[in-house]
Amino acid sequence: MDLLDEIYDAIIDGKQDIVVSKIKEALMDHIQPEIIMNEGLILGLDEVGRLYEEGTFFVPDMLIAARTMQAALKLLRPLLVKEGMKPIGKVAIGTVQGDLHDIGKSIVAMMFESNGFEIMDLGVDVQPEKFISAINDGAQIIAVSALLTTTMTNIKTTIESIEKAELRDQVIIMVGGAPVTEEFANAVGADGFAINAPSAVRKARELLCA
Amino acid sequence: MNSIERMKKTLTHETPDRVPIDFGSSAVTGIHCSCVEALRDYYHLEKKPVKVHEPYQMLGMLEDDLLDELCIDVEGICGRNTMFGFPNENWKEFRTPWGQEILVSEHFNTTVDSNGDILIYPEGDLKAPPSGRMPVKGYFFDTIIRQPQVDEENLDPEENLEEFKIISDEDCHYLRSELNRVRNSSRCILGTFGGTAFGDIALVPAPFLKEPKGIRDVAEWYISTKLRQDYIHTVFSKQCEIAIINLKKIHDVVQDGIDIIFICGTDFGTQRSSFCSTSTYDELYAPYYKQVNDWIHKNTNWLTFKHSCGAVENFMPHFIESGFDIINPVQCSASGMDPELLKEKYGSELTFWGGGVDTQNTLPNKHPDDVYNEVQERCRIFSKKGGYVFNSIHNIQANTPIHNIVAMFNAVKDYNNNHQN
Repeated sequence: MDLLDEIYDAIIDGKQDIVVSKIKEALMDHIQPEIIMNEGLILGLDEVGRLYEEGTFFVPDMLIAARTMQAALKLLRPLLVKEGMKPIGKVAIGTVQGDLHDIGKSIVAMMFESNGFEIMDLGVDVQPEKFISAINDGAQIIAVSALLTTTMTNIKTTIESIEKAELRDQVIIMVGGAPVTEEFANAVGADGFAINAPSAVRKARELLCA
Repeated sequence: MNSIERMKKTLTHETPDRVPIDFGSSAVTGIHCSCVEALRDYYHLEKKPVKVHEPYQMLGMLEDDLLDELCIDVEGICGRNTMFGFPNENWKEFRTPWGQEILVSEHFNTTVDSNGDILIYPEGDLKAPPSGRMPVKGYFFDTIIRQPQVDEENLDPEENLEEFKIISDEDCHYLRSELNRVRNSSRCILGTFGGTAFGDIALVPAPFLKEPKGIRDVAEWYISTKLRQDYIHTVFSKQCEIAIINLKKIHDVVQDGIDIIFICGTDFGTQRSSFCSTSTYDELYAPYYKQVNDWIHKNTNWLTFKHSCGAVENFMPHFIESGFDIINPVQCSASGMDPELLKEKYGSELTFWGGGVDTQNTLPNKHPDDVYNEVQERCRIFSKKGGYVFNSIHNIQANTPIHNIVAMFNAVKDYNNNHQN
């Protein structure tokens, strides 16, 4: 089995120590960081996403994959930057004002980052002003989530604030979270909606290319 | 029929005279305090501040006059301490951020941080780090995660057992007083005593403890269900041992003073998926549920109540196999949770307690007519051959329009009037 396959397997199996050691071995073997990223890590993460969508993997598996990717990226990111690898896009992600839930948001952030997006993780309980600030700092996509029915309305408030700041045309707005539906996303004027982390990445790519 | 007879019929899967109703008997079938006040105003009941008996979710107590007005068939008794580790006693006034004057326990001690968020403290001790936060413009508390650094080599399951203790004489005394309170009730009684929730993610972070140790972070716990199963088994095994000892002591005090016991609020479902496979459920959770349910069924006349949010249709046979009699909240908005399918497949073995109206969209957002129609439809589907207690899908949240809540109650009332048995 070659090193890229071992890295791929380590992501799926959630083996942090193995993924870090195999990346180091691959680098010593002069495999380019971008190759390690695209043909080891991202392929592994795509498979994790597929297994989650088919119902074989669950939230704990996604969390484990997130941690494994973070360990891998901590090693690889400086090298990718040095190689001049540019992010696909810049995403500012956060849970709306009043909402403190972040597991789903963190998994989505990980998937974005692992798939080549630059992430600004604004955290939880994010006021509209912080999303606006992120747009002024170059965010091309605003990804907003809400877990609670009582905070869902703040998604609309956030979008309205962005409109009022005359920044709506400059940004793609995606929404998600357990109670959020496509109907709701359309009603509040979002550009895109996703039901889970893997589909959020696919949607973001689609919207950026449009 | 009176409420007790009605509930007995439905819980034994016979058709009662009408669909029984629960609101307020537990922490998962309640109403936000703001909506309790709105209901009291709507029905012109005596104006008085609502008591918040469950401070974590800010649930309001439904007193007898409101229970009568709403034709509620169940009331609850519970253990001494709330989610923040203090008892409800010596009620004091408190003004909420949304301007409602309520009554809270004298131990409901809070501060306001620099963001304007309200912080609440375990056991009411302002010297301890806060364990709950109500964000600005929020309506209830979320747990503040206090996770000590995880030292993988020195993880000790005992640290996740601090909250599981043998019930004290003081606790037993409190139970006697609760039983006294409901002694003359004409309603069915649901008891919530704690100690039997295995891996309930609301309880893992331990907002009731001053300095929780062990694995208390939500993500860390979920990861542990995959990577540290031995640790989890050790915790659950000891917890189960203590739970059975406590059930004996509780039964000695309570006897037939309750009809139903709330066992566990661990959510196995998400909106569209689940937190684990059914194989993991069978391996990690079922053995302990079975021990608890078997003891209860062998030694008491109580029925056992399981709460699990989310898409759990595929878990239903496993809940049945584990010995649960009742499933709540029946989140029909989650994937695979079609009411007709659930009733057809599992209705003869599980009582559905909930499912009455969607609280993510219909109840808070739609027209009262939409609420009315959905409730009527749910009553029609779930009430066939008993096995159904009407409740919304989980607690009624803040900001739910009063006319929608009233439409919901009117719909059940009209359904019952038109389908009397």
